[in-house]
Amino acid sequence: MGQSFSFFSLKHHPPKQDPTDQKHQPGVFSKLAAPANKPGDFVHLISNCISAASTRTQEYLAFKDLEEKFHPSPRVLIQVFLMTYITQIFSLNVTDAFSCTVTTPEQRVLPGADWVWATLEKPSQNPKIQIVVQMAQMEPGGMNPHEKTVDFRASVGKDCFALFLLFGKQDDQENIYSVRSNNFEAAIAKGNKVDRFSSTEAFGPIFIKSLVRPDWDLNPDLHPLPRSSWIPGRMKK
Amino acid sequence: MFPNPSWGLLQMAATQDVKGKGEGGDQNFDYMFKLLIIGNSSVGKTSFLFRYADDAFTSAFVSTVGIDFKVKTVYKNDKRIKLQIWDTAGQERYRTITTAYYRGAMGFILMYDITNEESFGAVQDWSTQIKTYSWDNAQVVLAGNKCDMEEERVVSVDSGRLLAEQLGFEFFETSAKDNINVKQTFERLVDLICDKMSESLDTDPAVTTGAPTAKLTDSAPPLQQPACNC
Repeated sequence: MGQSFSFFSLKHHPPKQDPTDQKHQPGVFSKLAAPANKPGDFVHLISNCISAASTRTQEYLAFKDLEEKFHPSPRVLIQVFLMTYITQIFSLNVTDAFSCTVTTPEQRVLPGADWVWATLEKPSQNPKIQIVVQMAQMEPGGMNPHEKTVDFRASVGKDCFALFLLFGKQDDQENIYSVRSNNFEAAIAKGNKVDRFSSTEAFGPIFIKSLVRPDWDLNPDLHPLPRSSWIPGRMKK
Repeated sequence: MFPNPSWGLLQMAATQDVKGKGEGGDQNFDYMFKLLIIGNSSVGKTSFLFRYADDAFTSAFVSTVGIDFKVKTVYKNDKRIKLQIWDTAGQERYRTITTAYYRGAMGFILMYDITNEESFGAVQDWSTQIKTYSWDNAQVVLAGNKCDMEEERVVSVDSGRLLAEQLGFEFFETSAKDNINVKQTFERLVDLICDKMSESLDTDPAVTTGAPTAKLTDSAPPLQQPACNC
């Protein structure tokens, strides 16, 4: 699995770029969306589903009603994301290979995750590689609830990753950012706090690709989930 | 062995509530029992709990993520007993997480699948896990699940019963699918816990006085109020 993106990349922020500069550059996500070359290569299908879910959620994030009465809660946004994702993934019929288990309200208190993606072993249908996903609103001053998810991931072991989908970034309310936590615990062990993410821009790329392609070149640049494709960059209207 | 402080704490909470200091409907109970369902992956633990708590069943297998729980209130001799039932993932990868929840459990349903020899062979190991991570007075019921699948049976009823006797557990063959012995298993476990509580009171009268030094055993927690009159 790619390990090159780390918490410590916070210290190596790429220079801020004009969002429009990136608009037409092919990024890692655009490659993900390429057609499959071989049977069982479902990465691009999953990527498309996540892209669709992200797009739909961002429509809610960006929506402005004139009376300013529309304020969907984080829970509603999570449901929008999930419903869109599940609808897409079912239509593509890849649920046997890549499952999505939505946690119960009780479970959310424990590992803190909203859902878990997993590649499945056959014939047992038990999870092989897992991605514990937490979708949350970025709040100034702390992201401590994420530590639960990080702890959960660490206790499961190396076959489990944590992925945070964060929205509500102060200077970019309309995008969803992603960050993975392969080595959050290493960062914490060295005295850093997870809540530093709330005040940084070092968000790593989504890493579905790394599930099947460990040599995937992880890009530490900013990767807000795009509105309609996997091309990184902000895509404000 | 770990001491079990939560037993006393839970009952303290219940005692307060009975006196009208409860915080809401969820707190409205006389006793709270923490129960765990354990056993190999895919033996039917989640289905068993769903059948008991929601009277529902689906044959689709979804591996439990870590641990989950449901709450169900039962009535026994006019006492409200709130069951906090923890559904654990059977997969080895979650063992660190699930064993952390053994502490304070008053009862276990140790489940195997009568169509899966390996799950039956693992019962001894699960029993050891209980002894390692739980406390001495925890009660255990062995459940051979999926007894509706007679044609695929590889573990006989006698084998199950014999193993239960050897381990000192009660025994049921169950089916979450056909709703066989599900309620009975939980009811029996509740009875066993109530019996144990009463027995503890008999052997240590100091408990009834609420003496702070009262203990069930060296490793058991102090009881805060009389046991239920089950």
